[in-house]
Amino acid sequence: MRVEDLDVNEMIGDVGKIICEHDRKKGVLIHAFQKIQQDYGYLPGEVLMTLSKKLSLPLAEIYSVASFYKQFHFSPRGKKVVRVCMGTACHVRGAKNVLNALEDEFGIKQGETTDDLAMTLETVGCVGCCGLAPVATINEDVVGDIGKKKLELLVKAIKEEEK
Amino acid sequence: MIELTINGKKVKTEKGKTILQAALSNGIKIPNLCYDKRVVPFGGCRVCVVEIEGQRKLEASCATLAGDGMVVLTDTPKVRRARQAVLEFMLVHHPLDCPVCDKAGECDLQELVYEYGKPDGRFVREKKHSPPDTKGPLVELTANRCILCGKCVRLCSEYQGRGALGFIGRGFSTVVQPAFGEAIECDYCGQCIDICPTGALLNKSFKYKARPWSLEEKDTICPFCSCGCTLTLGIREGKILRSRGKEDLGVSGGNLCGRGRFGFDYIYSENRLKTPFIRKEANLEPSTWDEALAYISDRLKYILSNANGSESVGAIGSHRCTNEDNFMLRKFMQNVVGSDNMDSSSALGFSRVRKALNMVFGLKDHTIDMKSPIGKDVILIIESDLSVTHPVFGLNILKAKREGAKLIVADSKETKLTKHSTQWSRIKQGTGVAFLNGIMKVIVDKGLFNREVASGITGFSELEKSLEAYSPEKVTEITGISSEELIGAAETLAKAKSRILSFTLSPSENTKCIDTILAASNLVILLGEGPESLQIPAEYANTYGAYSMGIRPDAGKSEGKNLFDMLYVSGSINALYIMGEDPVSVLPYKSRIIKTLKSLELLIVQDIALTETAKLAHVILPASSWAEKDGTFTNAEGVTQRVYKLIDSTGEALPDWQILRNLSSAMGTDMAAGTLEGLSNEIKKTIRSEKATSNKRTFHPVLYSRGEEPDNEYPLSLVTRDILQHSGTMSTRSKTLNLVSSEAIIEMNERDAKRFGISDNSHVKVISRRGAVYLRAAVSDEVPDGAVYVPAHFPHSGISTLTSPSIHGGIAMETVRVEAA
Repeated sequence: MRVEDLDVNEMIGDVGKIICEHDRKKGVLIHAFQKIQQDYGYLPGEVLMTLSKKLSLPLAEIYSVASFYKQFHFSPRGKKVVRVCMGTACHVRGAKNVLNALEDEFGIKQGETTDDLAMTLETVGCVGCCGLAPVATINEDVVGDIGKKKLELLVKAIKEEEK
Repeated sequence: MIELTINGKKVKTEKGKTILQAALSNGIKIPNLCYDKRVVPFGGCRVCVVEIEGQRKLEASCATLAGDGMVVLTDTPKVRRARQAVLEFMLVHHPLDCPVCDKAGECDLQELVYEYGKPDGRFVREKKHSPPDTKGPLVELTANRCILCGKCVRLCSEYQGRGALGFIGRGFSTVVQPAFGEAIECDYCGQCIDICPTGALLNKSFKYKARPWSLEEKDTICPFCSCGCTLTLGIREGKILRSRGKEDLGVSGGNLCGRGRFGFDYIYSENRLKTPFIRKEANLEPSTWDEALAYISDRLKYILSNANGSESVGAIGSHRCTNEDNFMLRKFMQNVVGSDNMDSSSALGFSRVRKALNMVFGLKDHTIDMKSPIGKDVILIIESDLSVTHPVFGLNILKAKREGAKLIVADSKETKLTKHSTQWSRIKQGTGVAFLNGIMKVIVDKGLFNREVASGITGFSELEKSLEAYSPEKVTEITGISSEELIGAAETLAKAKSRILSFTLSPSENTKCIDTILAASNLVILLGEGPESLQIPAEYANTYGAYSMGIRPDAGKSEGKNLFDMLYVSGSINALYIMGEDPVSVLPYKSRIIKTLKSLELLIVQDIALTETAKLAHVILPASSWAEKDGTFTNAEGVTQRVYKLIDSTGEALPDWQILRNLSSAMGTDMAAGTLEGLSNEIKKTIRSEKATSNKRTFHPVLYSRGEEPDNEYPLSLVTRDILQHSGTMSTRSKTLNLVSSEAIIEMNERDAKRFGISDNSHVKVISRRGAVYLRAAVSDEVPDGAVYVPAHFPHSGISTLTSPSIHGGIAMETVRVEAA
């Protein structure tokens, strides 16, 4: 979505009729962020700046809203987002080893992205399949029962699809 | 009105007020950290909790509406326990680094903890670690001292209309910061420093300078614009260390802009004059007062002894000097010299406002009302950013808009007011008169006015005829806005129940002229209103006062020579006495002024610093600055306020009025005003303020005309506009303000920048028909193409080299070309 084409009234719908202009503008922020993130993979500073101009809302106010939500990111993300589950079940089954191994393998810490933007490594509270612990996800795919061998496969899977 | 009982005392309050407001307005104090009456209640700090009879839990009094018959207790053991607990929670994170915190001693949190106790809480948690964010030039942000009361965030966004700070992040890690944690880039009003209840936001220029309790605080009036805000200056060991606003104090109610808060240090600039100087051959050499006064006396007497002697002496007064100084200058000119050749830089500003309003309404006075925007239906602004030139008046415009007024801004540049406007009509620079005429044409054609009344006013048929040429199509052609926009604005304005028109007129802005005032007056009269709908403030701290004191050519019996005669016509006078003004830097067409001044037999410059004009003088007399003398300033509202001598004079400098008194004695005339009191009494007797009401109405139709037309050689219009960090030229001597803005930056649109091969932040040569200067360029989408914008404050940037004045009052917009340098 081009920020310039954003139509506040269309996006906010009928609710817009009963709220004031400022609230209308503030109300569309999250929709706008989601659309921007869909296109860019993250919320680039200059796009937020354009959004700030377009809505005549201060940049600090926009950034304040965006920074509240974990779903929005302010730096480029890797093509593959790998989330290692650190939930209780995974924890006891050695999630930490999985994380360390991935950190070592790709030379990044959790929360970081590789320089070639191939992979972002994150941790997550629980994925909801504790029976498969320890678990990690690559984008939408779940990899469970990560032992030594599975780990190699996991690394391979991450690397493979980079190309 | 409703009645409730607080702590056994029956109090009355308006419906819709909160318990806290009811208590405060009845002198009952309830402690609070996040409440400020300028912003919407937040209920964030929970310190103001109170017990309400019949309610099980405690309520935050700042966010609970007062009810009829309510019984409230603000200081019971239960309430105290709750407050103590709240403070204990705050201290989990807040470091007790009071020994190194500048706020200690006037810190709300510290006071409360002192009262409620328990600094060592039961909770042990990791404290927030964050080194002070010192990236910004004037405001320092120490996030770990922040208790997240959000006062700064809300005041900046809601009240100042800026929104430079936000709550960033969530939960424990939330901090108050600018977007992306970058350096604070804002209006630098510093209001957040005043309201921060802890030491999270601090004045960087005051850091580690003094403990608050060792400061002696004194109130005086700000020396910059004509709002006339009260500054509370902190002084230690004879030096002013800081300036702040105190809630509810003065005409501004404690609001200050950055100039008042940070700019006072212009009086500590290095080139303050400490002794008189006399020109000996080519050089200016220091002298004693006796020598200097004797020298002036001799030379002046000689000039006066010639035929038409007194006619050949002129004087320029100052908006920077007090009423007493200016009155003494007038006395000196009339009694010692015997001449009415007096004027000031307001000849290009306020004098024109007075002249126009006298023509139209027969008014002998013109004041504004700073609160006038509040409660109006429509506010129309013509090519002005009042939140830059008169920041505190600008705040009231923003407040009115928030409270429901429609704000229509006709301006070529994007400003804070356009950002907050209901309608921004982006007219081309200098086309305000055409815009106003176009609006009148729509109103007349659609019959949106009372024809019976209007047609009875002198000049109506001429007006109607003159408007023929301003059909919406024609106005679209001139101003560049669509006819729908014009018609919309006209309809909104005409159908409103109440309205004001506001703009500024000053020597440093060149897109408006006397015709703008006349056109605006016509519009106001057409809609059946009087001069109170025109809010055109005087420019600087004492512009209004200097004018009232008679620093103008028509104050005496005969019409004296005016500013243009004295500064732009060589040979018109032989001697000129300039008090507190720097025409070479301030007024347009520098080279012509220099030529005239050089041709004088005697040029006396009396000022606080070695200005560009002083460098040309035969004698320079050192004057005391605003903080070094007693006197009065009169603001744009016509309110006369005291300024106080707070510190000792610099070197041998003397107050301007004393210098003139001494000079009179040296010339053998006793002024009989040996003291300031004597002088004040004399002013009271002589200067009578005339009432600013009149029933006279006359239409003065004006036609749109513009300055130089851009052509191939000079393709861009040069617009001079004030910037927020400076007021006049004196503020450019403030080192603190210069941290934000220290040179004139020429702003141009991206398209123009490309066209002339100029990149952002590069240096350019700007050439007009009158001269050339080198400036730094900024590519900005705030300005339209076809014009470049530059502030005229900075003497060293020499903008006056490029410009020329409009002697008859028309628009004097120059054209220039720019080259990459």
